[in-house]
Amino acid sequence: MLTYKDRLAAMRRTKIEHTLQKRAQNGYTDLDDFGTVPLPDGYYVEPCYNSENGSFYGLDGMCENFCRVIGAHPAYVDPMEMLCGRWRDMLVNYRGDIHYMPDWIKKNERLRNFMSSGVTAQWSKRWDEKTYPYDELKPLQKKYNLTTGIDGDAHFACDYRIGLSLGFGGLLEKIRYYRTVNPDKQAFYDAEERVVLAIVAFIDRHIEAIREMIPAEERPELRESLQTMLCVCENVRMGAPKTFHEACQWVAFFNCAARIYTRDGAGFQLDTLLLPYYEADVAAGRLDDETAKFLIANLLLIDPHYYQISGVDENDRDLTNHLSYLILDGADAINISCNLTVRVHDNCDPAFLRHAVACLFRNKNGFPRFCCDKTLCEGYMRNGVDRSVARERIAVGCNWMCVPGREFPMNDTVKVNIAKVLEVALEELRYVPEPSVESLYGLFEMHLQIALDVIAKGVNHHLDHVHAVTPELVMNLMFHHCLEEGKDASECAELFTVGVDGAGLAVVADSLAAIEQRIEREKKLDWGVLYEALDTDFADQRVHDIMASVPKYCSGGSLADAWAKRLTETFARAVKAQPMPKGRQLIPGWFSWARSIEYGAAVGTMPNGRRRAEPLSHGANPNPHFRKDGAVTAQSEGIASVQCGYGNTAPLQLEFDPKLTEEEGGIDVVLQLIRAHFEQGGTLININILDGEKLLEANENPNLHPDLVVRVTGFTAYFASLSPKFRQLVVDRFLEGM
Amino acid sequence: MIKGLVADIERFSTHDGPGIRTVVFLKGCPLRCAWCHNPECISYEPQELFYPERCIGCGKCAEGCYSGARVMCGREMCAEEVMEEVLRDRAYYGQIGGVTVSGGEPLAQPAFTRELIEACRREGISVAIESSMIRYDEELLSGIDLLMADIKVMDDGLHRTYTGVSNRRILENLRRADALGVPMLIRTPIIPGVNDTQKNIAETADFLRTLRHLRGYELLPYHPLGQSKAEALGLCRPAFSVPTKEKMEELRTYADLQGSLGGNAPHKN
Repeated sequence: MLTYKDRLAAMRRTKIEHTLQKRAQNGYTDLDDFGTVPLPDGYYVEPCYNSENGSFYGLDGMCENFCRVIGAHPAYVDPMEMLCGRWRDMLVNYRGDIHYMPDWIKKNERLRNFMSSGVTAQWSKRWDEKTYPYDELKPLQKKYNLTTGIDGDAHFACDYRIGLSLGFGGLLEKIRYYRTVNPDKQAFYDAEERVVLAIVAFIDRHIEAIREMIPAEERPELRESLQTMLCVCENVRMGAPKTFHEACQWVAFFNCAARIYTRDGAGFQLDTLLLPYYEADVAAGRLDDETAKFLIANLLLIDPHYYQISGVDENDRDLTNHLSYLILDGADAINISCNLTVRVHDNCDPAFLRHAVACLFRNKNGFPRFCCDKTLCEGYMRNGVDRSVARERIAVGCNWMCVPGREFPMNDTVKVNIAKVLEVALEELRYVPEPSVESLYGLFEMHLQIALDVIAKGVNHHLDHVHAVTPELVMNLMFHHCLEEGKDASECAELFTVGVDGAGLAVVADSLAAIEQRIEREKKLDWGVLYEALDTDFADQRVHDIMASVPKYCSGGSLADAWAKRLTETFARAVKAQPMPKGRQLIPGWFSWARSIEYGAAVGTMPNGRRRAEPLSHGANPNPHFRKDGAVTAQSEGIASVQCGYGNTAPLQLEFDPKLTEEEGGIDVVLQLIRAHFEQGGTLININILDGEKLLEANENPNLHPDLVVRVTGFTAYFASLSPKFRQLVVDRFLEGM
Repeated sequence: MIKGLVADIERFSTHDGPGIRTVVFLKGCPLRCAWCHNPECISYEPQELFYPERCIGCGKCAEGCYSGARVMCGREMCAEEVMEEVLRDRAYYGQIGGVTVSGGEPLAQPAFTRELIEACRREGISVAIESSMIRYDEELLSGIDLLMADIKVMDDGLHRTYTGVSNRRILENLRRADALGVPMLIRTPIIPGVNDTQKNIAETADFLRTLRHLRGYELLPYHPLGQSKAEALGLCRPAFSVPTKEKMEELRTYADLQGSLGGNAPHKN
């Protein structure tokens, strides 16, 4: 008889097979694993383009194509599992985004021909530029290498309480009711209704598949499990979930749909929202802890959504509960790419924190990560939000937080490459008669301001029109006021606190410090030599070494550390001061996501010794070789000192092999590191406790360890799926911490 | 204010005492261990290490080397300057971490080490020292929370051959420190062909059983890190091999069989 342990082992084996198959289908992807499964042979969806500009837009376009793609998804039922459903393909694949385009589309001649044929006037585009052009922004976007958020998708969070309490049937009833209240919004309700029916049809295909599998299943325990699965699916196809099992299955189906629609990966406060189901089931004798853990493991396998656990309510009451422990244990049991975040606060149950850190040591797969309640909550309140709302703003993304169902933050979709801004300032300084580091900084501030003006225009352009371009038909279902008013989430959010992340902090701080020290203080070099070095990509190695050997940001008390703080003050002040209409606000943070290679490619030689087109520093992290000892505490201290302070993050991204086991005090070391970083003002720690030998082996030959997961930035990914260049970046960061 | 000659200050050390520690490496050591891990800390003078592989051949050595080929080791610092670096990690020390004064030989710069210990104590920071215990300083030892010392080999002839000094005074000083009540962690670096025998472990254990304040006994595998630094200093040294995992396992198991040697809590209770 198969035990849960046997079944989990089988699920892990299948996951590894899928990872390798996906790499073959998609090529290397420097992205989240997403929990997808490979596409079946012969899979083909012909998109319906409704714009001369290419692509598909609006209620009709998005709805029709969602129905086509989810409609083409076969059922996924594995008798080893207790939950069913998986996603494989997403709408953005058909919307001309080269950045995300998987190999299987590039190789599919029929589809490629279709996408670039006369059906569309040109290669399809994510944004409807014909109707909502922004040509006037493009020159400056390019000049400063800005990501203004136009055409970004998702990056906000649903309030799952809405869906869990109504079920798909209840959502349909709600749509039908409000259709009568808002007769002028028929197109909106038509689209929403079709979306829900398409999800229900997706569930129905699973019901059908399970029915077919039951008679053929010879193992009695799995046959019984399939029968339960069938019953659960029948209950949740229209009804609101009533048990823990049903709630997990409902979430799994919803998440599949949301991913297919816009890759949405924002989860919810997992331990709190599922607790009533757990408690009721346990009280009724329907559920034991082993089954609950298995179901959690299964849910996390289906989709590595970002879930928060632990935390505090508005009265500072610790939210940690028994289910919080089971969630960690369930994640540990399946040990795949899990995006769990523990919210650390003053009243946190110390035993739970220790349990969470022990989990990092056991799985060595980069979960959970940790965010700080105090800095995030108090920071967010500085935007004029009250404490109860700030406490609801939970970790549901790579680097970002969101108030589920109420906030439209565009987090992680808006970025300023400040290294590029410095490059522009340096170029202009050539024509200043008596250059100085202060005059350079003055120019930097001026250009940063111009860049932020462009950012603000881009954000506003997106917010003004995205409802007409890519309405969020799936996530709207669980967003307050959407169905009630017949409006998109981008129109009816209560909070528009839009995140603007700076990228390239360490490169700019180290560059300013190198200039100040070598040119101004020591007069070792002059401006002419510097410009010659920049023009020749440091052809003179000695000049390179002179500039590159100046103590770096995160070395502790250095000029570069002081510059990093000044840059943070400048950036935060300028972002916050940016005027925005309609109650919108911009919120500063430091984060480059997985774009350090892409952003680096756009930037020429920098005064800190970084050569042309080399990757930028990662997020708020220091440059490589920031200290001879690579001290994690120095990195932690430095990053804690560059927090922007308005509730968005500047994460501490750590890869290290503590060379200490749990028994040797390793847990205490990491616990102390977490506590101290947060006491000093840190917001988020993305941590990889790695087995160095395994990582280096996998870098040589990824197929040796297809199960190795690393936390790339905020997200985790299978190391074997990353591009060689990106793998090297992770390895370099790790070697720094040796 | 007394100046000390500091070789290096390393933050976030997790292997030089309990918890997260800042390690202050001092220059100067009376011993000449053939396998020394920190040969740049032997001399009492500042020294230049030369790494030819980093040299870019610019021919401007006299104007300063920036490539990392020529690195100076040894900086005069007062305790206050060292404390500036130490205090940076104060938040990370917690209940069990702190500062470790190492070297070189911290007792070879006793006045400076005493000042540094005193400065740490004023700040409420726990202090450990790593010492060969060839010297003894009661005042200094009274101020520390943990002493980490090596018993490299019990055979005095071998000890003289490989370290240049007798182990008698070291063992005597350890007894005196024990009588003083200093919690201590004893280590043996396992050097194949020198001390990697069960006999040496058994004799060491016999000695350790006489110590009342022993908090633990550790066997550390030889690490060749010191070799490249020795080459950079122009020193000729015998090469040692790294003990196999199996050998380390065998000796650790054997050490465990010697009975309780201080348990696993190498810090003051």
